[in-house]
Amino acid sequence: MMVNAELYVKDLPGQLVGSLEPISMVDGNIVGVVHDREQIINQRIRVSVTFEVASNAQLDKLKAIWKAKDIVISKMGSVYETCTMEYMILGKFNAGYVDNLIDEASNVVSFESVDVSYSSRNGNDSRRTALITAEVRSTEDEDKLDRFFSAACREGGLIYVRGL
Amino acid sequence: MRILISGFGTVGQGFAQILQLRHDFLTKRYGSAPQVVAVMDSQTVAADPHGLDLAALLARKQATHRVGEQTYTDSVAVLDSIDYDLLVEVSPTNIKTGGVGLINITHALNQGKDVITVNKGPLALKFSGLIELARKNGCKFRFEGSVGGAMPIINLCHENLVGEHISSIRGIFNGTCNYILSKMDKGQPFEQALKEAQQMGYAETDPSNDIEGFDSAAKAVILANSVFHRNVSISDVQITGISAISADAVTLAASHNMVIRLIAEISDTKLEVSPRLVPMGHPLSIGGTLNVAQIDADLAGPITITGRGAGKIETASAILSDLIAIMDTRGEKHHA
Repeated sequence: MMVNAELYVKDLPGQLVGSLEPISMVDGNIVGVVHDREQIINQRIRVSVTFEVASNAQLDKLKAIWKAKDIVISKMGSVYETCTMEYMILGKFNAGYVDNLIDEASNVVSFESVDVSYSSRNGNDSRRTALITAEVRSTEDEDKLDRFFSAACREGGLIYVRGL
Repeated sequence: MRILISGFGTVGQGFAQILQLRHDFLTKRYGSAPQVVAVMDSQTVAADPHGLDLAALLARKQATHRVGEQTYTDSVAVLDSIDYDLLVEVSPTNIKTGGVGLINITHALNQGKDVITVNKGPLALKFSGLIELARKNGCKFRFEGSVGGAMPIINLCHENLVGEHISSIRGIFNGTCNYILSKMDKGQPFEQALKEAQQMGYAETDPSNDIEGFDSAAKAVILANSVFHRNVSISDVQITGISAISADAVTLAASHNMVIRLIAEISDTKLEVSPRLVPMGHPLSIGGTLNVAQIDADLAGPITITGRGAGKIETASAILSDLIAIMDTRGEKHHA
């Protein structure tokens, strides 16, 4: 779950680190921090932080820690979950086929990101392997995408291997 | 406890060895060790109502490839002619018809006998019917060794995790496929890895049962029926084997820190055996011939177990645990 939060911390030495430490305490991962000393309200400075936590339970725990440390949460938004899934396709196809497949898939789910790698093998053998790494916003989308690739590969006579 | 062993191949002989190895333990626990009153192999039978000499049986089988001197054609007639309490059914698996194992188990349960089996065929094809038959006739029917060999998965779910809600089981239940895929991780092509597996005795001459996923599917069915209380058979499993997995695919997966493994996934809604991309270092990325399973339980969280999925003594150890469970519940005199 990716979270953007806007915090106000006391303008004292160690307060910035003190506001970020709780994220690690709930096994979160800090993606970015902006420390804005120009926005001082009630002797507090603004800290914008983007981080990942595994669940709502961890986010609630984090909010409780911040509250106990007298850190003000002024905004918490753009909260969304992302799920990353890998799909491998084996058989006779070309790069255009995979591009089309992803275009069609984007009508079924909203991708956060898609990355495709191909095996380096060349030569006369027309069989190839593609690895699609797709990031979507929900497990429902993940299931939809799974069903989509599964059906498309069955129809195209291709072997389909998905992640766990 | 008087035992009849049906099948005296690798596992049957392993069980006879274990009964010898654990003779003192069983005697101490129950006052007297269980007696094997009859053993059948595919053609012959040896029987003694006072208990057979297991060392002599093993030696005879080794020397003559026969367990007894008396031949038979009808296993049911043999079962009817022996006075026994428990059938240990370890004849060769037939996952298309259930084979003689299904006939023997059905007959024994109909006669009110307890049954232990590691034979996947009858369980994959007629699970619900056999469970119902056992229930109707008040028989104990246990089959721990049918999935994962020595790895205790069925009894773990039924006994230790009985208060849990198990949402899914994912695992590697075929050591042959895992051996081949592990070799491919190291750069061997599929055909060469398969040949090596055959030379090492892990794969049969006709390896299709393993590499096309049917063996794993049979185990998935047993878990679906026994742990998730579903009513499915092997035809309900969505099966993809590993024969189409190329060296190319394994290399591409490795370049993204993943390996390919044949994973069985079982839940209330899923029943599938297929090659999957597994992150390196994940419990299911295990190499070699080992079996592994990850059980997702609501209270305990994920539980991972691993062990030898096949082998003479290893599989027979699962029969011993079932035997002890039956003897305990049958109120055999407990001295421990």
